[in-house]
Amino acid sequence: MSISVKVGQVNLKNPIILASGTCGFGRELAEYMDLSKLGALSSKGLTLLPRDGNQGVRVAETPSGMLNCVGLQNPGVDAFLATELDYMVESGAGVVVNVAGHSNEDYISMVEKLDPYKDKIDALELNFSCPNVKEGCMVIGSSPKAIEALVSDLRKRTDLPLWVKLTPNVTSIAETAKGAEAGGADAIVAINTMLGMAIDIRTRRPLLHNNTGGLSGPCVKPVALRMVHDIYDAVNIPVVGCGGVSTYEDVLEFMIAGASAVELGTITLVHPTRPVEIVSDLEKYCEMNNIEELSSLTGTLELWR
Amino acid sequence: MKQEYSIQLIRKELLGETCAVLTFACPEIADTAKPGQFVNLSCAYFLKRPFGIMSVDREAKTFSVGVRKVGKGTEKIIAAKEGEQFTVLGPLGNGFCFDGVKKLLLVGGGTGIFPIFFTAQYARENGIPCEVVNGYRCKQDSFLYDQFACSCENFHVTTDAGDLGIKGNVMAYLESMNESELEGTTVMVVGPGIMMRKVSEWATVHGLTCFVSLEQRMACGIGACLVCVCKIKAEQEGKEFVHKRCCKDGPVFRAEEVIW
Repeated sequence: MSISVKVGQVNLKNPIILASGTCGFGRELAEYMDLSKLGALSSKGLTLLPRDGNQGVRVAETPSGMLNCVGLQNPGVDAFLATELDYMVESGAGVVVNVAGHSNEDYISMVEKLDPYKDKIDALELNFSCPNVKEGCMVIGSSPKAIEALVSDLRKRTDLPLWVKLTPNVTSIAETAKGAEAGGADAIVAINTMLGMAIDIRTRRPLLHNNTGGLSGPCVKPVALRMVHDIYDAVNIPVVGCGGVSTYEDVLEFMIAGASAVELGTITLVHPTRPVEIVSDLEKYCEMNNIEELSSLTGTLELWR
Repeated sequence: MKQEYSIQLIRKELLGETCAVLTFACPEIADTAKPGQFVNLSCAYFLKRPFGIMSVDREAKTFSVGVRKVGKGTEKIIAAKEGEQFTVLGPLGNGFCFDGVKKLLLVGGGTGIFPIFFTAQYARENGIPCEVVNGYRCKQDSFLYDQFACSCENFHVTTDAGDLGIKGNVMAYLESMNESELEGTTVMVVGPGIMMRKVSEWATVHGLTCFVSLEQRMACGIGACLVCVCKIKAEQEGKEFVHKRCCKDGPVFRAEEVIW
């Protein structure tokens, strides 16, 4: 019985990955769980230079979820390499480094800075999907052609697996996924947060001081699941499902829809020990149902005719 | 390893129409909590809600929080019945630092009065001379007045309405204090932002060390999500501020570090 999975060439001891932006570099959650029990941890989205993020109110609760507009507050890629990468490696979880640029040149510079550390990094996650910054990210990630051009450029600069994290804020995520595949991506991660809004009816102002924010949590899971299904049908590279995963049953749903692994995070903000509980629940599920390889579930969805 | 605890509400005391003190059984929090720390408490909605710890009973293994109804989540929490189960993370945050503190001036306002109660309790138990000033809107709103009055020898109240204690806000009392009695005093203040700002400016004028407990909308409460940041003066030259996490780096900060 095994719950290990492969995302392309990347071997993970189980399909559970902490999603970028919900776990920092692992230090805070290490107080609540043994990180080595996780498949991997995806770092806070890194930018070329340090970023303070957005000012004012950054969170609003929604039914079964939340909006955030943190705006990529991070120490920058150089500080990450100096003080955080080794911590992530020593945690024993797989290391996914999330990279967010303001421009193509930013992505290129960061990939070139990270490439020499290929022995310590399992995959680079290209964040083409943060909705809370004005440039780069979601702007690039909305255009299949722009994605293809940038991924193919980055592909030439590193052998590290390139995972492309896509935004759901597009007409067809299958098309943006195809752009990533055409550019040479090793996997698709879907989805990042959905652009949303909340309004204070007394002040008639948005609750978030960035006016809009990214919606996450159980409320987005049906949308994420449908998108993973669409992407799995459209491309031949692996898909990492992300969006509202909160229980082992959610993991199974995403895998059946086509995901090779999943990322989860918003639930961790409410129940910080949940990710490792899901790992042990998946083991129990496989034992009780005589499933030899959990990975055999990927893409086993049978549609109604 | 830290955990999320399942806890039972064992006592609820309503304070007026909008506030309540809730007492929960939880040995882990009762044993380790420090003044100025908080808990993140489940409610009927998605995210937990942060509350400053109001008191702990190390023998009964309970802790209490004061809750004011400010939205749907706090409304549900106040409506809970004794015996109901909650989940909680805590104790969270840094709490007040008492190293080298010779005597204390505690200033509370709004729901900040709840964590001030714990701080006064700690000072009493540790033999630190302590004076408390609470600012209320009016006599009817003066929750915990009796508890403070019977546990603190040096307790003062101001009310905006003037129907209890000194008329005005806490500054009316602070500005009446003699310079000589302030020497060597450490100030700890928890309350609305404008109050903490005024008190910290006053403390600066008098050369007093002052700590404030900041509040911001939170999600995880453990430092992972970065939604609850506040502006703190940067040490780096040429940089005005850094965003620090209220929940993990705070909620207590030295007043002179804070950009209001």
